[in-house]
Order: sequence, then structure tokens, then C-alpha cells
Amino acid sequence: MKKRNILNAIVGAALVVIFVLLLFTFQVRQSEVALVLTFGKPAAAPITQPGLYFKWPWPIQHVYRFDSRIQNFEDKFRQTLTADNNNLILTVYVGWKISDAALFYPKFVGSVPAAQDALEKILATDQSSVVGKHALSDFVNSDPKQLKFDEMEKTIQDAAQATLNSDNYGIELEFLGFKKIELPESVTQSVFERMKGERQKLISAEENEGAKEAAIIRSDADRTAAETIANANASALHIQGEGDAEAAKVLPIFEEDPGLANYLLRLDALRQSLNQQTTLILDERTPPFDLFTSMPTNGRTQ
Amino acid sequence: MNGHEHHDHDHPPDAAETRDAGSQALAEALSSSFTIVKIVMGLMVIAFACSGFFQVGPQEKAVILQFGKPVGVGEKMLLGPGLHWSFPYPIDEVVRIPITEIQTVTSDNGWYFTTPEQELSGEELPAGPSLNPAIDGYALTADHSIVHTRATLSYHITDPIQYIFNFVSASNAVQNVLDNALLFSAAQFGADDIIINDITRFQEAVQQHAEDLVEQDNLGIAIDQCTVQSTPPRQLSDIFAAVTEARQKRAEALNEAHNYENRMTNNATATAENLINLAQSSKFNYVTNLVAEAKRFSDILPYYQTNSSLYMQQTFVRMLGPALTNVQDKWYVPVRADGEPYQLRLQLNREPPQPKTGATP
Repeated sequence: MKKRNILNAIVGAALVVIFVLLLFTFQVRQSEVALVLTFGKPAAAPITQPGLYFKWPWPIQHVYRFDSRIQNFEDKFRQTLTADNNNLILTVYVGWKISDAALFYPKFVGSVPAAQDALEKILATDQSSVVGKHALSDFVNSDPKQLKFDEMEKTIQDAAQATLNSDNYGIELEFLGFKKIELPESVTQSVFERMKGERQKLISAEENEGAKEAAIIRSDADRTAAETIANANASALHIQGEGDAEAAKVLPIFEEDPGLANYLLRLDALRQSLNQQTTLILDERTPPFDLFTSMPTNGRTQ
Repeated sequence: MNGHEHHDHDHPPDAAETRDAGSQALAEALSSSFTIVKIVMGLMVIAFACSGFFQVGPQEKAVILQFGKPVGVGEKMLLGPGLHWSFPYPIDEVVRIPITEIQTVTSDNGWYFTTPEQELSGEELPAGPSLNPAIDGYALTADHSIVHTRATLSYHITDPIQYIFNFVSASNAVQNVLDNALLFSAAQFGADDIIINDITRFQEAVQQHAEDLVEQDNLGIAIDQCTVQSTPPRQLSDIFAAVTEARQKRAEALNEAHNYENRMTNNATATAENLINLAQSSKFNYVTNLVAEAKRFSDILPYYQTNSSLYMQQTFVRMLGPALTNVQDKWYVPVRADGEPYQLRLQLNREPPQPKTGATP
């Protein structure tokens, strides 16, 4: 019976301890910031470090927890005029977080949507102000050095941050960037017309330049071929000249008897001309046909 | 005490016995109930303790938050794959992080209005004459043109604490980065470069800018791959197709011209080589023959000078004999008896026409 009483006491004490802990302590998570209010007023600086903390039970103290992580906010479409009078429809995204819960809580009663509504209004002003100082070429440019994306984003962020600070919103902007840059719907149609015209010029240029380049390549090829053959002819003539020069060294031998030399040449020429296609008409004066008339008959020789 | 006694005297003895039996039964019932409660409590304690076991998968890391605060410092904070134990909630809380799993985000901010189903079935809504900024996305290019472009980014988490505990939705932040990278890169490229000429460089530019922003915004991720798809506005599909066709025709014309160039160059080179070889050969034959003839001349000369007439007759007739054998037509025309020459009339014709050859009879 005594043992049972001790056990009962332990269980009871444990329950009391748990109850007291639940009543007098609270946790702050890694991703949270907590604000302790004593009778509705901030008791101390917001708790930004995670862990277990003491508090007086309600209604003396009340703990408000806020998400201390970076929130993503995407602004609405906003039509803005650039410095060179071009209408642009812009959307920006923002990464923001609660930097001071003591300031944030009274402004928005801890409501993130309410904070983003306020942020939207601030961005509307600052975005128009910054974009109005830049030309369209700062948004789109083939020279990356002329692009002012980073500069504009930074300026809008700084301006919005300055407003948030001066109004004690307890919000810090971590980053800001353009999410959409578009043109009014009516302008897109005229852009299409221009693009169409540019492409038609491009088609014409492709056709003409293609024909021109092909003609140049062909004529270059013809010229190069002609030059190559002309050079080869010149080389052949040169070789022929060399042959003639070498032959000239041999020719004096034939001077010893030009008659024989000419006879041999004629003989060779005649041999070469008498081929199968030749029709030869001869009379008895040509040897050996002269034998037909000069053969001795009846013991007499003609 | 007197009252008690008086009370005892007021009730009959069998009633007192009945009451004692009832108390005893109640006591026994309470005792057994208490035992059941103790067993249940014991089981609950065991269940409470066992609920602290948790498993971390092969593609995960886990962080234990004890009273909201991460247990451990730096790398020791991250628990690897395997079985682990922590105090049950509300003391500890386990946060799982898909660290090695490849994650993807897609930016279709620059794409016209469509749905995946419509795209797959090829039944997209017809393009209107203009683009409505409220529903149709696109990017402005450096040449002030419009292109549709979208990208898919694959990444893995490198800093889980930063990724999980510093962003409400880090994947949304990554998507914003990708949207911005597409806009920024498109703003530096011409429409034709994005769509046709320089697709790879544009894709690299998008990935590079996304990497820069990821580092700048400290998102705690590493980009593995970025793929970009771009297309001209549907309103201009025909004209862009015509440009492509014109470019192909130009390329074909240039190819043909280069083929002609190669053919001409090769032919000319071959002809030139042939000419030079012929010249070399001709030179060699000419000189060699001449030298041979000179030698022949020198050899013959003594015999010739001895009796030139005999030599000439002999060599002529020797040459003529075999030559006449080969000659096709030989006409011997004797001198007429009256000493006048015969008249021979020769009719020269063209080559007789060759019979046609071929399949047609």
C-alpha cells in the first residue's frame, strides 16, 4: 500500500511537472522568431535564437511566433513608363524576412499577407520611380555592359528598404529581381509586324547573298582551274624547250652527211604513213614494181 | 465511536456482512483497474520511447531540433542514412532534408498560354493577333523582338540548413532565379540567336546567370543542369519557317558551289599533271629517239658513203615490202601502150552512217 502511494506520487508529480512546463515554458524553433508580450506590451527584445524559454502563463504573458525565414513575394503586373516613353509591364519578385518582430507585430498584427500588401504599395512607387529614369536600352541590349538590370534591381530594393526602415515595418529585403518584362498587348502586334518585315528582308538577303557567294565561288574555281592549266602549259613548253635544247646537242652529228640524214628521215616518215588505211597507187617506175618492166625477156635485158 | 456503536446496534448483523463484502469487491475492482492502468501506462511509456526511433533514407539527411534548436554543430548537425533515435515530440523534432536527390524547377514565365495536355495532344489554342500579358509569357530580346522561352533547372542541395531553415520555400526562390536568368539572358541576345543561331550559348548564359544569382541569394544549392527551349511567337511561325528555308537554300547553293569548286580544282590539277607528264614523256622520247637515230646515223654512214645508191635502193625496197603487206588497197597502174597516163577517178564519201544501238528497235 505504501509502495503504491509512492508510485502514485511520482506519476502525479510528473504530470504536475509537465503541466508546469507547458504553462511556463515555450520553444523557439530554428526558423522562428518569438515575441513575448506582458499584458499586451513587448516584454523584451524578440527572441531570435532557437531553444526553450521561460514565460509567465496567460494572461500575464503571451508568446507570438513568427517565421523568420525568407518569404517569397511576387508583385503584381505593373505598367510603367521608361525614360524614353516606352510602356513596359513589369513584375518583380522579392525575398523578404522579418528583421524585427517587435516592430513587425504592431504594424501587421503578425500577418504576412498584410505585410505583403504594404510591400506591394511600396514597390509600386519605387519601381515606377526607378524605371522612369531608365531607357528601354537599359532593359534590352546586345551589349551586356549597357544592360542595367542589376543596377535597377538594386536601386528599387534600396529605395523600398529605405521606406520600410523609415516606416519601422521590421522587414528586411534580402533580394529583389525582375520576373517579367513585357509590352502592352497592343504593342506586341506592332512588334510582330516589325519582326515580320525584318524576316522578309532577311529572306531576301539570304537568297541574294547565297546566289552571290555561289557565283563568286564558281568564278574563283574557274579562274583557279584556268590558272592551273595555264601554268601547266607553260611548264610543258618549258620542258619541251629543254628537250629541244638537248636535241640540239645531238643534231651536229647529222651534219656529217645531210643527204643520208634526210633520206633516213624520209624513209621513216614513209614507213609510218603506210598503214592499213592507206590506198597506194603505183606505176612500174616505183621499185620493186619496176621489175614488171625491167625483167629480161627472151634473153634480153631491157 | 458511540454513534458507530449505536449505528451497529441499529442494523442487523447480516447487513454489516453484506456491506463488508461490497467494499471488498469494490477494493478488488479498483485494484485490478489500477493494475490495468499501470500496464497501459507502462505500454504508453514504452510506445513513447519507441516512437523516438526514425530512419533516414539513402537520399536524405536529417536534423534533430531539440526544443527547436538544432542538435550538433556544422556537419555534425546532419544525420546520415540509417536508424536513429531522438526524444519524441515536443522535446525533439526530426526534419528530413532530401539532400542528394536531384530536384527540378521549371520556368514557363516566358511561354505562351497552354497546358501540358494540350501540348501533348497538339491541340493548343490558336494564336491570336497579339499576346496578352496576363496569360501569355514571353521574353524581350536585345533586338527588341519577342520570343517564347522556357527552362528547366536541375539542382541538388549543398547547404541543407540554409535551404530548409532560411527559406519558406527555397524551390520558389530557385524558380524566381530561373525566371530572372531567362529574362536577363534573353535581353542580351537577338531573337534569331536565341531560336536558331546560338542556342547553346544562350543556354549557357541562362545557366551562368542562374548560378550567379544562386550564389548571390545564398540558396544553398548547386545547379546540375539547365535546359532551355525557345521558339518564335506562333503568330510568326510561317515567316520564321521561310527564313529557315531560305537559309537552307543558301546553304545548298553554297554546297553546290563548293562541290563545283572542288570538281574544277581537281580536274584542273589532273589536267595540269597530265600536261606536264606528257611534256616530260614527249621530251624523253624525242631526245632518246634522236640520240638513237644519231647513233644509227653514225653506224650507217660508212656503208652509205661507200655506195649510197645501193644503200638507198636496198633500204627502200626492204621498207616497202612489209609496208605494202599491211596496206589495205594497192593499185598498180601500168603505163598505157600509147604512153598516155590512165585516168583514175576517186569519189570521196563521208563515213557511212553507223547503225544505231540501243533498246529502241
